[in-house]
Amino acid sequence: MKKIYLILIVLISAVSGCTDQFADFNTDKKNPANVPGESLFSNAQKELSDYVNNTNVNINIFKLMSQYWTETTYIDETNYDLVTRNISTNIYLRLYLRILTDLKESSKLISATQVVSSQEAVKQNKLEIIELINVYTYTQLVDVFGDVPYSQALDVNNVYPKYDDAATIYKDLFARLDAALAKLDANSESFGSADLYYGGDVASWIKFGNSLKIRMGITVADASDAALHATSKAAVESGSSNCFASNADDCTLKYLTSSPNYNQLYVDLVATGRHDFVAANTIVDAMNSLNDPRLSSYFTQADTSTVAGVVKLAYLGGPFGYLNSFSQSSHIADAIQKPDFPGIMLTYTEVQFYLAEAKERGYNVSNTAEQYYDEGIKSSFAFWGTSGVDAYLATPAVAYTTATGTWKQKIGTQSWIANYTRGLEGYTTWRRLDYPIFNIPSMKTSYSEIPVRFTYPVNEQTLNDVNYKAASAAIGGDLVTTKLFWDKY
Amino acid sequence: MRKLRFLLACLLLVGVGLVNAQSKSISGKVFSADDGQPVIGATVKVKGTSLGTITNADGEFKITLQADAKTIVVSYIGMKTLEVEAKNGIVIKLEAETSQLNEVVVTALGISRDKKSLGYSVQEVSGNDVNQVKSDNFITSLSGKISGIQIKNNTNFGGSTNVIIRGSSSLTGNNQALFVVDGVPVDNSNDNNSGQTTGRSGYDYGNAASDINPNDIETVSVLKGAAATALYGSRASHGVVLITTKRGQTTLAKTMTVKLSSNLTVSSVDQSTFPKYQNQYGGGYSQTGYSSAADGSAYPGLEHYADVNGDGVIDYTTPYYEDASRGQKFDANIKVYQWDAFDPKSPNYMKATPWVAGANGPITFFQTGLSTTNNIDISGSDKNSTYRFAYTNFNQTGIMPNSNLSKNNAIFNGSYNITDNLKITTSANYVNTAGKGRPSTGYNDNIMSSFRQWYEVNVDMGMQKKMYQLTGTNATWNRAAWNDGTAAYWDNPYWLRANNYETDGRSRLIGYAQVDWKITKDLKAMSRYAIDTYNELQEEQKAVGSSAGEFGVGRSNVTSGYSRYTSAYAESNFDFMLNYHKAITDKLDFSGILGTNIRRHQKETVYASTNNGLSVPGVYALSNSVDAMLPPEEKLEQIGVNGIYGSVSFGLENTYFLDATLRRDQSSTLPAQNNAYFYPSVTGSYIFSNAIKTDWLSLGKVRLNYAEVGSSAPALSVKDTYSANAPFSGNSLVTVPNTKLNSDLKPERQRALEGGLEMNFFKSRIGFDLALYKNNTIDQLMPVSVSYATGYSSKWVNAGEIENRGVELSFYATPIKTKDFKWDIRVNWSKNQNKVISLFTDEAGNKVTNLEIASLQGGVSINARVGEAYGAITGSDFVYTNGQKTVSSTTGRYLISSTNDHVIGNVTPDWNGGVSNSFTYKNFSLSFLIDVQHGGSIFSLDQWYGSGTGIYAESVGSNDLGNPKRNAIVYNDPTAATTALKIASGYAPTSGGTIYPGVLADGTKNYVRVNNQTYGADGWAVSPDAKFIYDASYVKLREVTITYNLPKELYSKLSLTNATIGIVGSNLWIISKNLPYADPEASQGSGNIQGWQSGVMPATRNVGFTLNLQF
Repeated sequence: MKKIYLILIVLISAVSGCTDQFADFNTDKKNPANVPGESLFSNAQKELSDYVNNTNVNINIFKLMSQYWTETTYIDETNYDLVTRNISTNIYLRLYLRILTDLKESSKLISATQVVSSQEAVKQNKLEIIELINVYTYTQLVDVFGDVPYSQALDVNNVYPKYDDAATIYKDLFARLDAALAKLDANSESFGSADLYYGGDVASWIKFGNSLKIRMGITVADASDAALHATSKAAVESGSSNCFASNADDCTLKYLTSSPNYNQLYVDLVATGRHDFVAANTIVDAMNSLNDPRLSSYFTQADTSTVAGVVKLAYLGGPFGYLNSFSQSSHIADAIQKPDFPGIMLTYTEVQFYLAEAKERGYNVSNTAEQYYDEGIKSSFAFWGTSGVDAYLATPAVAYTTATGTWKQKIGTQSWIANYTRGLEGYTTWRRLDYPIFNIPSMKTSYSEIPVRFTYPVNEQTLNDVNYKAASAAIGGDLVTTKLFWDKY
Repeated sequence: MRKLRFLLACLLLVGVGLVNAQSKSISGKVFSADDGQPVIGATVKVKGTSLGTITNADGEFKITLQADAKTIVVSYIGMKTLEVEAKNGIVIKLEAETSQLNEVVVTALGISRDKKSLGYSVQEVSGNDVNQVKSDNFITSLSGKISGIQIKNNTNFGGSTNVIIRGSSSLTGNNQALFVVDGVPVDNSNDNNSGQTTGRSGYDYGNAASDINPNDIETVSVLKGAAATALYGSRASHGVVLITTKRGQTTLAKTMTVKLSSNLTVSSVDQSTFPKYQNQYGGGYSQTGYSSAADGSAYPGLEHYADVNGDGVIDYTTPYYEDASRGQKFDANIKVYQWDAFDPKSPNYMKATPWVAGANGPITFFQTGLSTTNNIDISGSDKNSTYRFAYTNFNQTGIMPNSNLSKNNAIFNGSYNITDNLKITTSANYVNTAGKGRPSTGYNDNIMSSFRQWYEVNVDMGMQKKMYQLTGTNATWNRAAWNDGTAAYWDNPYWLRANNYETDGRSRLIGYAQVDWKITKDLKAMSRYAIDTYNELQEEQKAVGSSAGEFGVGRSNVTSGYSRYTSAYAESNFDFMLNYHKAITDKLDFSGILGTNIRRHQKETVYASTNNGLSVPGVYALSNSVDAMLPPEEKLEQIGVNGIYGSVSFGLENTYFLDATLRRDQSSTLPAQNNAYFYPSVTGSYIFSNAIKTDWLSLGKVRLNYAEVGSSAPALSVKDTYSANAPFSGNSLVTVPNTKLNSDLKPERQRALEGGLEMNFFKSRIGFDLALYKNNTIDQLMPVSVSYATGYSSKWVNAGEIENRGVELSFYATPIKTKDFKWDIRVNWSKNQNKVISLFTDEAGNKVTNLEIASLQGGVSINARVGEAYGAITGSDFVYTNGQKTVSSTTGRYLISSTNDHVIGNVTPDWNGGVSNSFTYKNFSLSFLIDVQHGGSIFSLDQWYGSGTGIYAESVGSNDLGNPKRNAIVYNDPTAATTALKIASGYAPTSGGTIYPGVLADGTKNYVRVNNQTYGADGWAVSPDAKFIYDASYVKLREVTITYNLPKELYSKLSLTNATIGIVGSNLWIISKNLPYADPEASQGSGNIQGWQSGVMPATRNVGFTLNLQF
């Protein structure tokens, strides 16, 4: 019997001994609890470029919306079906969840890091560069949706962030941009190699900030809000003094050649083996009519012969928003399908066209509209490595003085061509200037059905319904046809 | 089986008797006094000992007993126990028990209890009920046999089964029942990844409880309510399926029984669960637009741009790269270079073949599935020990080529009485399962989504097979172009099955060692250490040359790859329990339990894959990655729960019963300040039939209980971390996870009230058990979905309330019972009304009214929505005008609501029921089970796309004018300036197109025709989601069993004691359903995401032949 009591005692002590590591069980041993803030910044930069340069039909369809490309078989997106694939939800997911949150956390961690006084300026530069990316990211949201959560965003303790007025957001973004530019110190370093865009070069970031300011200023140039209009003018004018000076200043992410650090375009154009996209007739027809030498940099030729044994190569865009044969249409040029094709964020070419537009809008910038226009086209040729720009500029249909239409048509058409692959920029140019002339896809019946904004994510209807409804009412209805505050015409 | 249950109880309650060396042997026979039939399996014991035997198929027994033993005790459940003098050649007649009062059932912690004393609902089925149908997962055999348990048998080969008891009570957590085998909790997780469960792509690897071997099961006892499961603690809040396995029993003399059984089951496709295709229009998205008259083409639905054979004439080719059947109308006179014209090995090389429907449709792709089950079962005993050893081999091939599932299951258990008061028991069960070629699930990379959604009916499956056999390559019908044979979206299905498949294996050990010590007459102690541990490997391979699909870590689209997922699981449970039982007075009976349970759980998983394809074809290794591998996904989950519990039970005059339990758990998954919690239960019952003595009422009992059960959080939901992405040029990339964790979590609580009435008439000829319950689960632990603008997609909170109210009825009757013939009916019916009462209210008082469980393809989501039952399906709806569906006056299509948040269905069924009838005539028995689900909804992505691509039979045929639907629309005035004016001019009598029932926006009856000539007539993008919501009701002939006990004369010379043969059919006939072309139970797997189908497998009809022999 005594033995049994002994066993019992052993058993009971075994039970009580089980609690040793109990407290440690719930610690995640596979993921870090502490990381340097810089690694979050690098991640946000990559995520941002991945988003902007994407052409996945679930994520970024702006290369279709801008009618650079069209679809072959599955023509939902070119017919503006934004809901089936939850595209808007994915935009929120990428921008708020993956980019703005990482930027916020990065900023928080870097702020909290104690540094020696000699490193204070470096720390300050890091925080201001983060701020520039924040501003850039918010403009992506506002220019797509209009009012979005802003002042109450990124606070998980407030799960019902209200939507802010888009114009008000823009005003605040201008202020944040100016504040950041004022604090950036070109004599100090910043992120170093952790900055995937400029390798930590602060002078480049200052040019970037000014160029972004010009873009934002031009974007809201038509806003009816008088104060914002004044800000627009001031932003462009102040920005133009130290913006990008050549293609070398372009903001890009130099993608690598292998997964997952290659250009996301490669994923959808090559890696998937799918044949979803071909050149859209909208841009190919426009460029054909101008004999634009950049066609060879933008697209491949298709065999348009209907006679057996005869090959007749030509640039042929598929009718936008119709079923298209992959094999019978021009494809996207091989260079763009390379895995290390750069991720383009903001370019000198783009800025030149904004400045041309600024001049036409009566803003006080140094050169003539024609000079900026020509420089924009020249830098585009240079970017794509295409020759023959002088002859092209001499073409009456291209030359600024003789090209058809108003300045809006001239600048709109040429900047759209020059900014090829820049989906949102092309789409925004069309919305602001109403040029180029787009085509109506097969399942729509009138030009007025082409969306001028995206509807809010479907899950905002359920997760943030009161604010969603308020925002819908404020902008005049959550419809693709509701114009944004800067899209007056 | 009942004898064993009884014996178990005896072992536990009575203890072990003394044995003397001197012995004698007597034999006898036991009959039923009621019908004169021999009683099989009656227990015959020597009075005052636990030594005994059971009667054989003829009611005969032989027992060895001490020379001085005077009395034997003969008992059988449902019959009065009889004590008789121990003499040789005795004939014993047992009378039926006047009630089922003495039925013993297994309850929580494996404690056997007198059923009459229970104040809660327990329902039991025998092992026979779950092992007649031989399948890879015995759980499916419970369907329709127990009330209050909803079983969803999906159609995936080797797939997982959803088991929900009394409705879903957790908003986002695991709602599956807990499985406990002989007191050992057995893991039932489903490791399918999120891409699989949300219907993207992947395989359904089944759920781990399918390792339980049905041949080992003695009884299955289902504890439904919180009061029944309260002693199990936090993990049992969704009900418990308690399994008791077979074992040997102590006998004085050495005995041994050997049983052999063999089964062969044949499975074939139930064609009512597979599409019927149209055979009039071929590949393409439109009857026009692939070529034009300007090109010299007469058939604009075919491509006409290439001189394929080089004869100087442009040829017709198929739009191969398309995957719809809205193209050119079939016409045998049109000669087309089809997909098989370009390989020199093809019999049709450089031949244009007639444009007709494929001779062999997708149905011919399926083959007959076969499974074999072989089992040997050896059990035996002597005066101090028992043992049982069993081995089962299960081998199954599926209806898809190259699919195989095998299981080897070996179990050994034994007990030994060290002294009269001390017994040790041990059990070890080793299970090895291996799977290969499970069918893909979901939208991507799934042959079934091609067959159901994306297909060209001009394709001849026979030719696909032949071309694969001739070339060994991915000779797909879905070529990128006539001169480019790479797969556009879909692979040759034969090549795909031979090259792209998964293999998986799990080796598992479940076992325990237990000591039972009878300290005094009234006090007993039990101590047990149990483990359940397994290693699992899942490998997926995608051959070079495949069409691109989401694959591996990061789910990027690749055209080849290899991935492996390994999982190491271990759970240990240490239990120590003191059990005190004493009759305090003649009338008052008391028992009490005091115990502790220490649980330790660890699961470590690693998922790794090649990146961007395979470098060398055919080598499936991580090192064969084209690009450097992405960081593997690693998870380590450790959980510790320390529990102590106690219970007291009082029985007064065998009429009034009162139980109370209390358990305290301390769980490592909760923050330290909140990690200990109590939950109590109180149950009571009153046997009112003791007060009213009548002949007809054998038992009448009412019961009532209340319980609270707590649940702890999943591991790692408290402390935030970061997660790392692959580095970029040496720079580390780190991100904030999408889910915000919460360091203030507290336990979730369920409050459950249950009442019941049991009545039994005419000595168990007829009876029922009725249960009513109401369970409210509050303070739900959940990652509530939040607006992405918060920077997170979800955050962990304690919030919300979900209510389940229900009625369960089990009814049984024996309408006819004669000497040779017996008819039994069993009916189970249950209705659970689920309602989400509240979700989450933030600090500012804003209320979340919708919790998204999953956002799925097709723009639909599965939600918990306040005021609705769990599983509300939301999506786009019709636009209604005066209650009528509204049609566009320009397109003739239904208008679609502008938002996708309309509730268009609900996953939760209204009720489930099962009716089984069994007939026994002499040596024959026949039984059949009809299983019914009423209500519940399904969104069919198959129909949503398949209706669009025009593959289904109903997409062709005549319209209201008697013209082919797919003909062009012809207006009376085709020259009118606008479409609206053309429509206004009316339709010519020759017009095609169809008129959808409904009204126009002005409320007048719709007369506008939909153009069926092209994609866009129906289905995705052009129809509301609500159009593809179907009623999930079904009536199924679930099981038919015919068995025949072979006459003894046939085998008596073979030293056999029993031999039966049987034919068992399962899922033979879906008597009624409303979902076209698919089984309403089909899904991507078990879990909370139900009510959505994409690319589901057809159901199979299974017929099995069984032979059982006993020596």
